[in-house]
Amino acid sequence: MKLGFGKIRDALKGGAEKNTGEEKKERKEEELEPDRVEEVTMKTKTSEQKSEDASKTESKNEPENEPENEPMIPADRTGARKTGLIFFPAFDWAISPTHPEREERLLYTRDQIFEEGLMDLPQIAEYKPRLADFRDIARVHFCIPDIEAQATIPHRISAGSCLVLADALMRGEVKNAFALVRPPGHHAMTVAHGNRGFCNINNEAILVEYLRKKYGIRRIAIVDTDVHHGDGTQEIFYNDPDVLFISFHQDGRTLFPGSGFVNELGGPKALGRTINIPLPPGTPDEGILYVLDTLVLPILKDFKPELVLNSAGQDNHYTDPLANMRFSAQGYAKLNEKLAPDMAVLEGGYAIQSALPYVNTGIILAMAGLDYSCVKEPDFRPGMFVQAARDRHVLEEIVATQLENWKNRDRLVEAEVAKHGDFYRRKKQIFYDTDMIQEFQEETVRMCPDCQGYVTIDSNAHRSINDTRIFGVSVPIYACASCQAEAREEYRKRLNYPEYEYVYLQDKKADEYRAYNTRKKQETVY
Amino acid sequence: MLIGIDVGGTTTDAVLIRNGEVYSTTKVSTERGNLLKSLLNALDEVSRGVPPGQLERVVFSTTIITNLIAEGKTDRVALLLIPGPGVNPESYVFPDSFYLKGAMDFRGREIQLLDEAEVRETVSRIREQGFSRAAVVSKFGQRNPSHELRIEEILREMYPDCKVELGHKVSGKLNFPRRIATSMLASATGERYQEFVAEIKKALEERDIRAPVYILKADGGTLPIEKSVAFPVETIFSGPAASTIGALALTPEGQTSVVVDIGGTTTDLALILSGKPLMASKGAKLGNFLTHVRAFAVRSMAVGGDSIVRVRETGDGVRIVTIGPERAGPAYCMGGEEPTPTDALRVLGLVEVGDLERAKEAVASVASSLGRSETEVASLIVDTTAGIIEKAVREMFLEWEQEPAYRIWEVLQKKKERPENVVGIGGGARGLISVVAKKLNAKPIIPEYSEVGNAIGAAVARPTLTLNLRIDTQQKVYSVAEEGEIVNLNSTDIGNFNKMRSKEAEALAAKLLRERAKRFGISEYADEAEIANSEVFNVVDGWLTAGRLFDVSMQIPAGLIPEWKRREKA
Repeated sequence: MKLGFGKIRDALKGGAEKNTGEEKKERKEEELEPDRVEEVTMKTKTSEQKSEDASKTESKNEPENEPENEPMIPADRTGARKTGLIFFPAFDWAISPTHPEREERLLYTRDQIFEEGLMDLPQIAEYKPRLADFRDIARVHFCIPDIEAQATIPHRISAGSCLVLADALMRGEVKNAFALVRPPGHHAMTVAHGNRGFCNINNEAILVEYLRKKYGIRRIAIVDTDVHHGDGTQEIFYNDPDVLFISFHQDGRTLFPGSGFVNELGGPKALGRTINIPLPPGTPDEGILYVLDTLVLPILKDFKPELVLNSAGQDNHYTDPLANMRFSAQGYAKLNEKLAPDMAVLEGGYAIQSALPYVNTGIILAMAGLDYSCVKEPDFRPGMFVQAARDRHVLEEIVATQLENWKNRDRLVEAEVAKHGDFYRRKKQIFYDTDMIQEFQEETVRMCPDCQGYVTIDSNAHRSINDTRIFGVSVPIYACASCQAEAREEYRKRLNYPEYEYVYLQDKKADEYRAYNTRKKQETVY
Repeated sequence: MLIGIDVGGTTTDAVLIRNGEVYSTTKVSTERGNLLKSLLNALDEVSRGVPPGQLERVVFSTTIITNLIAEGKTDRVALLLIPGPGVNPESYVFPDSFYLKGAMDFRGREIQLLDEAEVRETVSRIREQGFSRAAVVSKFGQRNPSHELRIEEILREMYPDCKVELGHKVSGKLNFPRRIATSMLASATGERYQEFVAEIKKALEERDIRAPVYILKADGGTLPIEKSVAFPVETIFSGPAASTIGALALTPEGQTSVVVDIGGTTTDLALILSGKPLMASKGAKLGNFLTHVRAFAVRSMAVGGDSIVRVRETGDGVRIVTIGPERAGPAYCMGGEEPTPTDALRVLGLVEVGDLERAKEAVASVASSLGRSETEVASLIVDTTAGIIEKAVREMFLEWEQEPAYRIWEVLQKKKERPENVVGIGGGARGLISVVAKKLNAKPIIPEYSEVGNAIGAAVARPTLTLNLRIDTQQKVYSVAEEGEIVNLNSTDIGNFNKMRSKEAEALAAKLLRERAKRFGISEYADEAEIANSEVFNVVDGWLTAGRLFDVSMQIPAGLIPEWKRREKA
């Protein structure tokens, strides 16, 4: 976890001290835990080697009395020629009339892609959105007070669109897919008290859990190319060694949400499966493509995911009003061509006239394997942005450090796991910028020798007048039977704790989701 | 009295309607290569003995444009295209294209200047290369046509004999490649179509017919023939449109029906949902080109009464019956050489045409290679044929349900309708209709006069009209896509543009539609206009609302003229 840490701290001047402080505080919490060292066999390697026939093995492990849980076998996609597309601009939804997340956001994108006739291309297959089911959302989130409150209709359509495309992909109808949808989702974390960074529920996470449950996919890589750190997605998969999360974004010291530093590498059993690349403000195409070529692509090649998802924000653009990067439409198209994601899901991007129409045209053409050389912004001139030498040096350092961390990930895991006993705990403070909520959280991960371990979250949301405290238990889809049993017992126990207003059970292994209102003594089963 | 004439590929059908009821019908064979003669033959025959003064209205549907394009009898058109940034124009498949610099963006703002020297040089080249027609189309030209208009000026000045078509006048809809194709086809067929119209008018004058004459469009609406010369391409596929309107006229009001027109080689399907013919969500495809032409959602498949019936062995040795796609000539029972679905229908007594013994012979040949009885196999053939049609109907409904949706209400809208009726139009292979209907759990309807349902459709179709209004209050302009003019909002009586609401935008659209209807001579239908879509977007600059964009679509939808007395005979 600390490899290369000092080097980076030097490279990223200013704000580093604050960082260190946080880091210390976090570690102190961990030290408070009595260390109960047990004989722990490292499983990471083994589970990786197993992964090729993981789906088969897993389906055999399913309880026999639940045949409906048998994952479907994904169809062979080698013959698919089309790019699946859902364009859902939600022309009748806004956070507020002048908010960046408003009706108008994809209007000009609509104009451009329709005027270009992209929907007529034989390489494009357009699909109709649907609503995500409550279960699809419950598989990822603890929604407070309930799913309807956090996932309104447009959120469910946005997430549902991803699932429609996932089905098309898994049925082999399309070679890849792009969900050009809003509202976005990558800032939404497991616990959803409200809207953070324009997001309530996490589209990518819902997509990942759906793909795992329905199709038995095990190894998935998410590359978050939004200018903001994908902190929601990171948090959801932080302890999951099967999901590789890579995010590059404008340095968190200069932009919301203020996280995504090199030292955030994953929970003890998933170290190195979270890779953050904070970019200096003003980084142009050159810098991002450098990071892609020298860091992202080599790691992906090594990780060998079954699917690669692009959490495709478009706010790295040089005209974006909320950030300070210098990425172009050509850069975005090239990035998607090189990354070749199986699926891309739109995230942010608020230069709705000067960037989005061109960036989206570029991405669609690139994903469909078509010529995007003529896609450019009206004011773009090749060579107008040059990477500063100092920034190049910063990027080289980050790449070197993260490659080192990646290479040593199994050793890192081993060393970190040895430090903890049966449980790993961390305390977090989460700020909901849109809804002005301050959340205090304690996350506990069972350090299970046989699986990634179940997770419990004790969360207290502080609003201006009232606080809400909840307790959530999450059983990973590939959890062992004893973790599952232990976790379910934790849920049952907490039902009688008066300090919690709501208690949640998220048993992904059994695909069973429960929410208990302790005041009304009512349990909802999704 | 009303006359409707449908010039089809094989026959030209005509009806005369008096007091809202069918008075006489006729069918003459279509002389390929001389549509006008076929049309006039049918006209003369159906109106025999009727004083021309008593005719109130004459409507044609014709395949002329389709034929011209299929036969390559079109004029060469130089395409002067201003693609701007986006898709590489090299990937377009249009012939004779000349690409020019210049660009507009989605708001109609000029983002690259026109290079006049380049335009002049290109005009010289097209003249040298012998083009006498040009279509000028710019990307987002409908949002700002100034580049197209400037090129037109240069063409007029340098090459006044060249006939010019401008993209923004042909269609105001988004989709540059479709606008290129539609403009190109309009230009390429315009002259011959104009000749055709002139000949019709001359022939009618000779017959002393002074009733207004209309032509049927692909969207099932009529258009005064004089106006149609400006929109020749809109008359494509008026045949299927005529059949659909015919089915609408001959079935109970407000119901959901699938219209099945079974011919010798092909079967055409159309849908009527709760009494409204279903429009295709996108423009029609003509030859290899996708166009902006509004058309009914129709589906044509290569199976009909005269399709060849074969026995095929599948991979695992099972013998199955296949129908089509080739045609056998006439059915065996009608003197043909191969077994057909018509023979099977004859054996089962579902049709009365042809020789029963020969029909049995045909079915027996299939039965022997399957080792089953004649009746069994006849049923199997009919069932297989009906199954192909049934599958296509289900796919059409599914496609309609799965049409992309861009708004929340569109996603939530429950699109679940199933046909109540299967309506047979055209008179071919009638026996199949009941089998298809049974498979779809619907009621079979073969209306009286169904064999000339297409001509009835032409006779009783009413005019359609669309109007797409776009208002940009930030730029203080509005434009009507169909008219291609950018008008300053100051010319309207709207006071404060920034406080403008949807209601005012819709009122402006309604006013413009009334004016447009008047120009088309169809004012009496202006009240039938409905708002198909109305939306408003706040344009936010920084964190302030800088203006509003309104899009209002109005239409006079396809329907029946009030003179027609709907009959509910089955």
